[in-house]
Amino acid sequence: MLKGIHQQLDPQESPAFFIQGPKPFSRLMFFCTLSLVMMAVDARFDYLSQVRQWFSTALHPLEVLASAPNEWGRNINTYFTSHNQLIQDNFKLKQQSLIDNAALQRLATVDAENAHLRTLLAGDAPIIPQATLGEVLHMGRDPFSNIITLNRGSRHHITPGQAVVDEQGVVGQITRVYTFTSEVTLITDKKLSIPIQIERNQLRAIAFGEGKRNTLDIPYLPTSVDIKVGDKLVTSGIDGVYPAGLAVAVVTQIKQSQDSPFAKIISRPIAGVNNHKHVLILKVPESPAIQSSENKPVLPRNNAQHLDQSVVEVLQKNNAAVDPHPATETPVLDSPSTEPGAAATPGASPDTTTPAAPEHP
Amino acid sequence: MKPVKFGTFLFTMLVGLIFQLYPWSDTGVIIRPDFLLVIMIYWVLQAPYHCNIGWVWFAGLLVDLSTGSLLGQHALTFAITAFLGLIYQRRLVLFNRWQLYLYVIFLFGVQRGLILLLKLFAGGELPDWTYSLPVVSDLILWQFMIIWFGELTRPKKL
Repeated sequence: MLKGIHQQLDPQESPAFFIQGPKPFSRLMFFCTLSLVMMAVDARFDYLSQVRQWFSTALHPLEVLASAPNEWGRNINTYFTSHNQLIQDNFKLKQQSLIDNAALQRLATVDAENAHLRTLLAGDAPIIPQATLGEVLHMGRDPFSNIITLNRGSRHHITPGQAVVDEQGVVGQITRVYTFTSEVTLITDKKLSIPIQIERNQLRAIAFGEGKRNTLDIPYLPTSVDIKVGDKLVTSGIDGVYPAGLAVAVVTQIKQSQDSPFAKIISRPIAGVNNHKHVLILKVPESPAIQSSENKPVLPRNNAQHLDQSVVEVLQKNNAAVDPHPATETPVLDSPSTEPGAAATPGASPDTTTPAAPEHP
Repeated sequence: MKPVKFGTFLFTMLVGLIFQLYPWSDTGVIIRPDFLLVIMIYWVLQAPYHCNIGWVWFAGLLVDLSTGSLLGQHALTFAITAFLGLIYQRRLVLFNRWQLYLYVIFLFGVQRGLILLLKLFAGGELPDWTYSLPVVSDLILWQFMIIWFGELTRPKKL
């Protein structure tokens, strides 16, 4: 009886100096410092992405286990879809296929003609991107971010920066890749920007996500700009990430205020950004503009940053192909030191251009 | 009451993690309780000999990894919340049910407030009032924890 008395004691009641270890406060300080350091490292450097990969791979079995009930529910639902519904769907699809086939017949002819014309003009062949089908696993678990997770990862040769589209338009861009899954930042996220063109008049601009409101904003366009409610915005393709001509959004609201020289233009994404099951992950097109900037890290807001440089590179290439006497000096953006006259008139002698350059302070 | 087995503690943590990883729908994300937080706070108060601040911090890290958010922010808030629970642990076990509810709501609120603060520092936008809803579902989950694993153990009368 007496022998076992120390075993019957609650550990909680034993003297503090035996079980407590470090005091709670020193523990707290230690772990606070650790997490602050981790946050700083994660935000500023790239070291922790590997750790994230390992953990995510380790968590994958649990993730599969967790999503199993959902999967069963969906399967059962599909199984019990009524006969009537299937007949209706089949009828609708057949009609749609008839219409599409008629349109496709014209497309083949137009495609061939387009390719022919492009070779005549010595332009680039149109880029037809390859795509991988992905399935949406879940919407983000974090209510703050506009992120969805797909069931395709580095195993399936997905790389950060690839564009993600559904049958209606652009959904977003891959920003983080794990072994079996990848994260897509939606175009409505605050961090993402996308180069667009107004379909009606080919006006180029950049659209930025607005976060929670699920809309896009097109800032820095003057109030006099030719844009109307209902205008369709498509990708312009000059960033080298999104192929040209994909539908992005429809303009829903234009506000003009007296205080601002810019119009406030709000548009709504066309793709079902928040409600779809299957999406296409497009390969980044292999244009020369991309190859030269491949070693740069792809960040969610890369489009806007590299836009200027890629435009210059594409222009250079086109000029070289079209102009039999190319300019000796290549135009570079953001460098006021180079003389503007020298690049524009390569044949002119330096004596005539030097006095024209503004030397006065 | 017998001391809690370490296995029980680890098992509940695993179950909490699975619930955390469950693909929640839109409304689900809004009202979903912080499974791991509630489970860890319960064990910090019920079995401080198993669950110290380090474990709670680790659970926060798992939440960070599963949400894909900045590594360490949930870990930091979990650790601070656990500390606030742990320093009053000896008193909290003596509280009656309603006093305990109040303190636990305070703890869950602190955690959500801290996360909000960190997100705002990182340039996030202010969420609407539904952001505070999970505190209620946290409390419901807390009640389930009490039902399954018992009231907090009071020390024996001498």
